[in-house]
Amino acid sequence: MKILVIEDDLETADHIGHALRAQGHEVDESFAGPDGLAKARGGKHAALIVDRMLPGMDGLSLVKQLRQEGSQTPVLFLTTMSGIDDRVAGLEGGGDDYLAKPFALAELVARVNAITRRNDQRPTMLRAADLEMDLIRREVRRAGKTVELQPQEFRLLEYMLRNASRVVTRSMLLENVWDLHFDPRTNIVETHMSRLRGKMDRGHTVELIHTIRGTGYILRAD
Amino acid sequence: MPIRAFHSEGFRIAAIYVAIFALSAALLGVLTIVIVNEEFRDQIVQFANADIGAIRDGYRTEGVPEAKEVISQRMSTPGASDFFLLEQGRARLAGNLQPMEPQTGILTLPDPGNSPGHLILGVGAFLAPNLYIFSGSDLYRAQLTRRRILVTLSWVFAGALILAILGGTLVSRSFLRRTDMIVTTCRAIMAGNLTTRVPVRGTQDELDRLSETINAMLDRIAALMKNVTQVTNDIAHDLRTPVTHLRHRLERARERATTTEDYDKALEAAIAASDDILALFTALLRIAQIEAGARRAAFAPLDLAALLSHLRELFAPVAEDAGHTLEFALEQPLQIPGDRQLLTQLFSNLIENAIIHTPKGTRVSVTLKREGNDAMVRVSDDGPGVPPEEHHKLFQRFYRREASRTRPGFGLGLALVSAITDLHGAHLKVEAAQPRGFSISLLLPIAETWELSANNVSGG
Repeated sequence: MKILVIEDDLETADHIGHALRAQGHEVDESFAGPDGLAKARGGKHAALIVDRMLPGMDGLSLVKQLRQEGSQTPVLFLTTMSGIDDRVAGLEGGGDDYLAKPFALAELVARVNAITRRNDQRPTMLRAADLEMDLIRREVRRAGKTVELQPQEFRLLEYMLRNASRVVTRSMLLENVWDLHFDPRTNIVETHMSRLRGKMDRGHTVELIHTIRGTGYILRAD
Repeated sequence: MPIRAFHSEGFRIAAIYVAIFALSAALLGVLTIVIVNEEFRDQIVQFANADIGAIRDGYRTEGVPEAKEVISQRMSTPGASDFFLLEQGRARLAGNLQPMEPQTGILTLPDPGNSPGHLILGVGAFLAPNLYIFSGSDLYRAQLTRRRILVTLSWVFAGALILAILGGTLVSRSFLRRTDMIVTTCRAIMAGNLTTRVPVRGTQDELDRLSETINAMLDRIAALMKNVTQVTNDIAHDLRTPVTHLRHRLERARERATTTEDYDKALEAAIAASDDILALFTALLRIAQIEAGARRAAFAPLDLAALLSHLRELFAPVAEDAGHTLEFALEQPLQIPGDRQLLTQLFSNLIENAIIHTPKGTRVSVTLKREGNDAMVRVSDDGPGVPPEEHHKLFQRFYRREASRTRPGFGLGLALVSAITDLHGAHLKVEAAQPRGFSISLLLPIAETWELSANNVSGG
């Protein structure tokens, strides 16, 4: 994939560029708003990583402009850590996700992967290996047998299935499954995940959900 | 000092009083004189009418000679009129006035002696078609009385004026002395002596109340200054420790690490340590931002029962795994204006505290109910509790109870809770739970009155 990084801090840009190239992506870089807008207009990028604070034109205006021109390219906003309200403004301004600096590279990569493979279709059935989730009847079956899940566990599994074969981080789960935008001090994610796995993988030789140490989880049938 | 007194509020007030007093005294004087004057004229006219009546009676019974007789009698009677004239045509028959053009009714005539200021007031009437009678008195006595009243009033007025000015000056000087004390205190504080306070006389007057308010304000400022100093020191300390540790680790790695694995470990530890430092910054900035009140714009009506139900689903398994019982008693539905994200964080924080800081087997209860115009949310536990003398410290930044120093955390959780509470115009109440344990209650206004209450945390 070709990804455009619009970031005026050279060290951060470099840092992101290295990480994405290591993942096999092609990276374009821009260090100012107007230049970034010009490069993004080509529409040849799979995703944009846009810093909120840019010389010439701020990131939010840049993305708003792009969206007005009809661009659908997924956008990940980067911001400094202080802005609580920035998240909402960023998402309303046309961003697809939002990441506060400083961030772990694994987090950035996971989120870029999530937004670039975002699927706007709304399927009624989600599948992975012998696991089936019926979104209409709110039912889950593994190898044909019904798995009873609590609402929280259902939502968690749904998110994992929608992002199957992709790493999801702890904070992505907190934000998207439970709508928590802070770092809890108890192990909410681990607790719910372990319950879900207990119900879903119990009695099956193949485990579908795997822990990626220090990063998050992945739902994978291999 | 006497010159400065003219610029003082006390003097201004005294001057206004003096002016009002002078005006009312003058008004009173004028009124008195007018009334006295009227009274005198009435009396003179009354006497004149009585005399004329008597003379007319005499004339009617026995003719002109009897009228003349009555006049001469009257002229020697004390209390009767001073001047008489009885004329037939222009010939004087009796009396002590020169003949004149007959005029009837109440008249004012110049004095016969032509002395200035003397006037005669009296009544003229015809006894018969050609027989004219006038009876009157000198107005001089009325003028004399008037002048006496005027002089007396002037003296009283002058005396009172002097007293008023004196009193005003005294009041203003005392006022000045006391405002000077306030000024001196403020200057001392500006010069850096923060412990100085304005003396209070104990009279409970306006200036005392002002002084007390200023002192209370100074106490608050001193507490804030202390807090800022404290926070600065704490930040310096709390950051220096992890940064120092980080540095030590990196140094050790450089000296001792031999294998790639060693380096990996050291780097991972270093990254974790810097994440901690950044998390501390994030927490501090978040509190500062909430305290600045910037999030009010994000307020929207939200149902507390729904929000807390969500947290129940979220934390029930966590509590269970930690060996705690988590109970919810929610009155439905309760709408308040607020920031969903921040309130979620606030209640999560309280529930997590109850789970983290109590031993296994503790029962944690979350209650939502309406109390008057407030929605009351209480998070309580039956754990070992917190000694009452520590309650007020819990909300200070970086305060950590002795028992929790070994656990990860910065001691910023409740400081954040306090900031979010303030933002919502809510009240926090910290109590010992019955029969044992710890309880925090949050009173959130249901009506949109939070706009009016800026800063009203109590017990926090």
